[in-house]
Amino acid sequence: MRNHHLGRFGLLALIAGLIWSCLTIAALAHASLTSATPSDGAVVATPPAMLSLSFSEPVSPLVLKLVRPDGTTTNLERFALRDKTLEITSPDDLGNGTYVMTWRVVSEDGHPVGGSSIFSIGAPSASQPAAMESADWLVRSALWISRIGLYAGLFLGIGGTFTLRWLISPTGSVRHATFALIAIGIIATLASAGLQGLDALGLPLRELVTRAAWATGFETSFGRTVLLLIGAFFLSVVALWVQGPAMGRTLAAIALIAGAAALALSGHASAAAPQLLMRPAVFLHSLTIAIWAGALLPLIHALRHHVEAGRAALARFARLIPVAVGILVIAGIVLAIVQVERPAALLDTAYGNVLLAKLGLILVLFLVVSFNRWALTKPAQAGDGKARHRLARVVVVETILVLAILAVASTWRFTPPPRALAVIAAQPVSVHIHAEKAMAEVTITPGRAGPVEVSAFVMAPDFSAMVPKEVVFVFSNPQAGVEPMRRKAALRDGAWRSEGVVLPLPGQWQLRVDVLISDFDLVRLQDVVEIQP
Amino acid sequence: MLKRTLATVAALALGSSAALAHVSLQLKEAPVGSTYRAIFQVPHGCEGKPTNVVRVQIPEGVIAVKPQPKAGWALEKVKGAYTKSYDYYGTPTSEGVKEIVWSGGNLGDDEYDEFVLRVYLTKDLKAGETLHFPVVQECPDGAAERWIEIPAAGQSEDDLELPAPGVKLLDAVSGH
Repeated sequence: MRNHHLGRFGLLALIAGLIWSCLTIAALAHASLTSATPSDGAVVATPPAMLSLSFSEPVSPLVLKLVRPDGTTTNLERFALRDKTLEITSPDDLGNGTYVMTWRVVSEDGHPVGGSSIFSIGAPSASQPAAMESADWLVRSALWISRIGLYAGLFLGIGGTFTLRWLISPTGSVRHATFALIAIGIIATLASAGLQGLDALGLPLRELVTRAAWATGFETSFGRTVLLLIGAFFLSVVALWVQGPAMGRTLAAIALIAGAAALALSGHASAAAPQLLMRPAVFLHSLTIAIWAGALLPLIHALRHHVEAGRAALARFARLIPVAVGILVIAGIVLAIVQVERPAALLDTAYGNVLLAKLGLILVLFLVVSFNRWALTKPAQAGDGKARHRLARVVVVETILVLAILAVASTWRFTPPPRALAVIAAQPVSVHIHAEKAMAEVTITPGRAGPVEVSAFVMAPDFSAMVPKEVVFVFSNPQAGVEPMRRKAALRDGAWRSEGVVLPLPGQWQLRVDVLISDFDLVRLQDVVEIQP
Repeated sequence: MLKRTLATVAALALGSSAALAHVSLQLKEAPVGSTYRAIFQVPHGCEGKPTNVVRVQIPEGVIAVKPQPKAGWALEKVKGAYTKSYDYYGTPTSEGVKEIVWSGGNLGDDEYDEFVLRVYLTKDLKAGETLHFPVVQECPDGAAERWIEIPAAGQSEDDLELPAPGVKLLDAVSGH
């Protein structure tokens, strides 16, 4: 509509000039919006057939647009003027979400006035935050594999050392296998530090040779995990190596504790509140996994090759493991409850899906374990050779399941838990606006498109307290064609607040804070705020 | 289409005299060092509501203020000290009316009225500049229209949402 007029600008300007020179009396009024249907900020259940805007004066529309929830704009062409009201037939294809009716009209005084009115169908739009940015899948795959290697090294290597020192004497091939697992763990742990750096910097895999990747990797909280874990791996090697059983046992236990503590130093779960609960939970979860999973390989070996030792080991294993698994499950439940927050998140977030997959595998694992315990362990302990061999095979299945669970759990590296998503989503955006006569600290919560709460602390330029008569927030988005929306603020707890403001689109919004310092003194503070999707 | 075109034409024609859309002064120009009849034209109420109170702030350099009483409106003169002493036909004047309030009236949104002051524009005011009189209209339920914005350097009245009415100051008339 507008462009059409602009095309004839020259001619219009000439006519305008002529009319101006003829005008002796100008109309004395300007138009302001008196009401809108649906009313500003309203949430309606079904798409309205008619929209309307009523003004204090008769008006002619210059621009009449509807900005949709996805940010696209529709010109409202079908409208009728009835006295001071613009009756608009709404487009037929309105889905759920928040719409902005935005207008620019001219009244008889010839002063164009613009404004916006918001309404939502169903519920206000609130887009899901994009927590996962564009990913480099090569780096991610490498990170995933290195994470599996890290877990294998920790749980099977360090855990295996613990078993070999405390439950079964370290003999032959299983000792070599444990050395190999620890070696894998060391390599994978070191590699994951560099990969972590690449991921943090958003660099491709070939940049792994750069110093920046490694420096960054070690600077993140994961760097501490890597250092402590490497220490634990070397302790574990020594524990396997030394001759003295007492020395070996002590070192194996320290390595186990250090390894479990290393995992508690970083990661989503350790970072969650309450820290006093979460860090010990991660520690106990890791520790008991290592005790249980670490016992599997030595046990297979003992059952297959050393009849007597195997039977004795099985007895000790059968006593120790229920305790370890009990702690493991309780710690795991605590972690899951804090991280997932609400049951629905199990289905609608990636983190929840991974947890479900992991729980499914664990269920299978527990079925196998129960079968072991009630069907095979007793006969095997009693000396039934067949049962012993079958038990060894089932323990192989258990080990494979454990590896699968570790592989699934490793994908958590890439899925922020619902708790973290909620934190990202609630992240407010703040802006400090300073002018000669006043300044304001404005916070928009959450800082993303959808319903928000706007609050502002208004101060004198010297940071002293100031109580203005009135504060109004004015939002506009010229890029999206959204004319100013005005929202009055109310003073509560020292801050000027306006709830139920809906910023329907992400992007750069112009924010103006109109501060009426006294009856005759108005300050307009302006800035731009970036609203996340 | 024609109507819309005409509206655009009107917009272009009147955009330059936007002050007319708001509370404005009828006499647009006055020489400094003279008496001025400030006639405030109030074109409408506050978003549909009637006007009950009209308040005018007297800018610095404007003295000897005498409001014209209006039937149906109570008149209040808020006095105070000026920032400096002004010469009023040889009499130094350092205090006087700083604000005029007409209250208790009921001017409908669809009605028009004028509020008049007689003032003296001292020679301390600079010819060539525009002198602004901030005006507040108060309506029921706390509603108000505030014509109180004064253009900053480089701004024009058209840039403002709520421009205060102004009068262009001319050179003093010599010879009195």
